[in-house]
Amino acid sequence: GKAAKPKPAFTDEAVQTLLYKMTGIDLHKVFRPVKKELKPPQYKLMTEAQLQKATRKAIEEAKEKLIMPPVLDEREPIDDVLAEDKFLEGTETTKYVFTDLTYSIPHRERFIVVREPNGVLRKATWEERDRMIQIFFPKEGRRVIPPALFKDEHLGNVFQQDRHEDVLNMCIAQFEPDSPDYIRVHHRTYDDIDKHAKYDLLRSTRHFGGMVWYLVNRRRTDGLLIDMINRDLLDDATSLITLYHMLHPECQSAKEAKEGNLKGVDLIKVFVKTESQREGYIQLALQAYEEAMATSTAS
Amino acid sequence: AFFTGSRVLKGYRGGHVVIRFALGGCANRPFFRIVAAHSKRARDGKYLEQLGCLDPLPNVHGERVAGLNLERLRYWLGCGAQLSRPAEKLLGRPGAGAWQRRMGVGTRCSRVSPPLLAGLAGFLPLHPMTVTGAERLRQRRQREQQVGTAPADGPGAGP
Repeated sequence: GKAAKPKPAFTDEAVQTLLYKMTGIDLHKVFRPVKKELKPPQYKLMTEAQLQKATRKAIEEAKEKLIMPPVLDEREPIDDVLAEDKFLEGTETTKYVFTDLTYSIPHRERFIVVREPNGVLRKATWEERDRMIQIFFPKEGRRVIPPALFKDEHLGNVFQQDRHEDVLNMCIAQFEPDSPDYIRVHHRTYDDIDKHAKYDLLRSTRHFGGMVWYLVNRRRTDGLLIDMINRDLLDDATSLITLYHMLHPECQSAKEAKEGNLKGVDLIKVFVKTESQREGYIQLALQAYEEAMATSTAS
Repeated sequence: AFFTGSRVLKGYRGGHVVIRFALGGCANRPFFRIVAAHSKRARDGKYLEQLGCLDPLPNVHGERVAGLNLERLRYWLGCGAQLSRPAEKLLGRPGAGAWQRRMGVGTRCSRVSPPLLAGLAGFLPLHPMTVTGAERLRQRRQREQQVGTAPADGPGAGP
């Protein structure tokens, strides 16, 4: 039967630690030069201790940059009619949109109403809300009308140039996390990465966790697993499989792993036998890895 | 404009605070600011506080955008500000809800007093002239239609 405890959510601590471990911290990629105004480079002379202190501080800052953006369900459309005044029909030709500009209320609770030409006073839809809030309370990086980049036909161009990370950053700046556009762009990006096995583009960025969550929920972890084994990231592979077991506790490999309390390569082998679709590839990758380990320990 | 001489503060005899539209913008492109000001001031002159704006021309999506700072509006109405005629049409007339039947819920003011009939913005109850104006417009259109469809009957065919 089904497990009694509720399904783990994206925000659970255990899930977050696993995803964070898999993201990895490549300082050179996190702090890669962003286009800013030109300044001459600064050189500092440090002792070993000072260098270690600076590295630790850099790791702290990198952790802040790697905080994962939220993963939410799609929002319900609003269609709430406040008043119907039929006698106003025909007095105006266009609709009026009224926004409440009180500074101290959060944007989610703001009143934005639309008076249609047929006299109906209704609450504004989510798209109208986002537009109005951006007009009166502009946020940096967000445009009133979403750029044409986020349409499906143009996303293909961006993916060909391998700029998935930039597209995701722009998407986070432009849309709310529960809007259907945000979810659609993210899913398209993850699908494209999965199709071409370009997982390394997102490693060490804040989007990696979201991508892993998406793939694990849809049981399409094979490509990622192969990529991890090829790059000798066995710990990441084990945490991926642990996350999979947490989310799908009724599958066979989860039960076997719990009985035998397996760790490391054994866990991967059990998972490969029962759950994966591309068994052959993963077995080959595992064999290559074990041979490499054997030669390195022997020599 | 800079203040010349020693006439920095203007003192009035009489006059009251009104909430009205101050016209701005360029040629053939009006833009109204909803403003609380003394009634004796110039239309576009020094005001007490800006409470919002209204763009009378429809935008790309076919809507006329208006912003209203409801909290400050309520403050000024509480201080005893009057509304100008176009402002009344937009917001409604305070105190008109007593004799109009209840049809729907106003927006923020439903917390302040029992549910009032929604004005154009839904803030205050509807101005009775809006209702009358709508009726007159409809009757005029009906008359024009009848005159258009029956021209052979002569000019005395209207109601």
